[in-house]
Amino acid sequence: MMSAIFFYILATLILVFAYKTITANNPIHCALYLAITMINLAFLFFGLNAPFIGGVQLVVYAGAVMVLFVMVLMLFDLKSEIRAFSRGLFSGLLKIASAGLIFGILSNAIFKTGDLLGLASGGPGMPDPAGTSRDLAIMLFTKYLFAFEALGLLLLLVAVGAVAVSRIKGGTHAN
Amino acid sequence: MSQLIPVFALAGFVIFFGILLVLVAALFGPKPKASKMKSMSYECGLVGEGQETTKVPVKFYLTAILFILFDIEIIFMYPWAIAYSDFIEAGQGLYIFGAMAVFLAIFIFGLFWEIRSRALEWE
Amino acid sequence: MGSDIFEVGVNFGKMVLIFVMMVQIVPLLVWVERRGSAFIQNRFGPNRVGPLGLTQLLADAVKFIFKEDFLPEKSHRLVFYAAPIMALIPAALAFAAIPLSMPIEITQFEMLGSIWGPYRFVFQGYEIGIGIVFVLGVSSLAAYSLLMAGWASSNKYSLYGALRASAQTISYELALGLSLVGILLLFNTFNFQEIIVLQDKALAFSFFGQEVSLGWLPNWGVFYQPLGAIIFFAAMFAECNRLPFDLPEAEAELVAGYHTEYGGLKMNMFYIGEYGHMLVASALMVTFYFGGYSLGPWLTEETVNGLSQWIVESISPTIVYLMDIPFPESFAAIFEASQNKVNILTAFVFHGVFLGKVLIFLWLFVHVRWTLPRFRYDQLMDLGWKTMLPWALANTILTAIVVLVMRMN
Repeated sequence: MMSAIFFYILATLILVFAYKTITANNPIHCALYLAITMINLAFLFFGLNAPFIGGVQLVVYAGAVMVLFVMVLMLFDLKSEIRAFSRGLFSGLLKIASAGLIFGILSNAIFKTGDLLGLASGGPGMPDPAGTSRDLAIMLFTKYLFAFEALGLLLLLVAVGAVAVSRIKGGTHAN
Repeated sequence: MSQLIPVFALAGFVIFFGILLVLVAALFGPKPKASKMKSMSYECGLVGEGQETTKVPVKFYLTAILFILFDIEIIFMYPWAIAYSDFIEAGQGLYIFGAMAVFLAIFIFGLFWEIRSRALEWE
Repeated sequence: MGSDIFEVGVNFGKMVLIFVMMVQIVPLLVWVERRGSAFIQNRFGPNRVGPLGLTQLLADAVKFIFKEDFLPEKSHRLVFYAAPIMALIPAALAFAAIPLSMPIEITQFEMLGSIWGPYRFVFQGYEIGIGIVFVLGVSSLAAYSLLMAGWASSNKYSLYGALRASAQTISYELALGLSLVGILLLFNTFNFQEIIVLQDKALAFSFFGQEVSLGWLPNWGVFYQPLGAIIFFAAMFAECNRLPFDLPEAEAELVAGYHTEYGGLKMNMFYIGEYGHMLVASALMVTFYFGGYSLGPWLTEETVNGLSQWIVESISPTIVYLMDIPFPESFAAIFEASQNKVNILTAFVFHGVFLGKVLIFLWLFVHVRWTLPRFRYDQLMDLGWKTMLPWALANTILTAIVVLVMRMN
């Protein structure tokens, strides 16, 4: 009962702030609202007895990715960006198209996941909170070891790419 | 879920306390007339330029993105460290060490490549 | 939060008390810092208001309240006011997750005509199984308050200060997170309580199948992880933006960094956040490397238990005797000796031990501030990325190899 109430409170908060993220005019306000959404999402993971995922969500998404977003948005002169992307037929069509695309991908993913994994029978079974992070580690380093090592390589590639991009001269902010 | 109630209660209490402090400061402070010169942002007494003209080195952006990458790699070491002794007890110590050794080798290669490529130099 | 009204009430009151403790440590630390800096620099420091200048803090608080609430032009009102509130949250949420003493076991007792209990109260705001990751995650939110304050002020120096501060915090977070992997490899748990219990015994480990035991030393993490402890502590200095890492506030270059435009209570809230971070840093340092609230073989639980038993048994007859006449029957039970009171007293004794250790580290923060000069920004980034991160990596690998060799049969 209690957990259901908290789930719905959190879900409402997430929806409200996600809506604010889309509708806010100032890009920095958008980023801050998105950060609040991420924090709430982390607590949702905590509530679903996946504390390690929740912690990772806090550390990586709320603490690192969103900080990067906010920081980068603060670096730029936002006036021209706001002008370029907030009105006009082309950017409106672009927005609708990307929203439709994301909706399609997400709904497809949700339906496919149900088929692939098979929904749990007999109601929502909660994993044991004490053992989950250890179980996660054992799964990660036995069954998904290859994906784990590949992730290391992927991160290395992204790092190289970021350094290369930062070296490029020119672009809209060259002067 | 129920273990989160105290966290929310504390967060709510802290936010309430913060709003209270801000309100108290706004209520009790003197309210002299604002003037143009007074409400200007303080940039050492010169006429404020504001933030529009501020140019910031791209180094900050690079630092932040490298931080994310290394942060993800470090957070993946946490479950490994938790399960390390379990694997050793099961007689798979070398396996789990090797699994992380490969990952760490990539990590170390990345870090030293960043240092060599002068991506982390601040002049 | 609890099954009945008593438990809920105690838990909530405890949480508020812990938050008040964090807020109240700020004026005390400011006083210690001002007196301490005066002592180090051969000055007097605040000594006029009250004994030893102690009520200076009260005078300061009154002054803070009656300052003008100033909003610079072109600033972003909502974010400008939200930033100091945001500064309070990470430190408060992180501090409440750290155990300040042992849990208190309460057996059944009678109060106001009904039976209550049994209860188990943890001596912390809340117990989260995944404590370490939670604390790391929550404290990584501290970058927002800096960025929000710097951006909303509409001041060039504030923005530079905020960018520098957040770049510095995130850079040192890497070394911080990595230095903890050694501790996790040793203790194999995310739970603070379990880490402390594992440290609460005589120093003993197996060395190539042989049991080595040093009975006169506690089993503290610092004896296994000296390098990790140093890196952790140095990174914590940078996380708190304290000297020698206080580049965001470099007065000579940036006026006052991200809080240039703030004054009065709002400025004070940033200070509460900063000193709260120092408190969290010291508490984490004590929990990971110095045994938390325990003192190992120097002060075992049995000793403290016996001591508090003796205190409770010798004091409560006196109180019962003194309070005998004016109170009705049901109140007399409050002052009678019982196991519950012994447990509570024991927990508070260990809480004193914890506070003592934390105070030592808080004093270190103050002492270092008035001893070392400030870094240059490139030196700061070099130290974080090129020195501390590789050393933390080396520490992790070395610990993994040693643990592998020691624990393999």
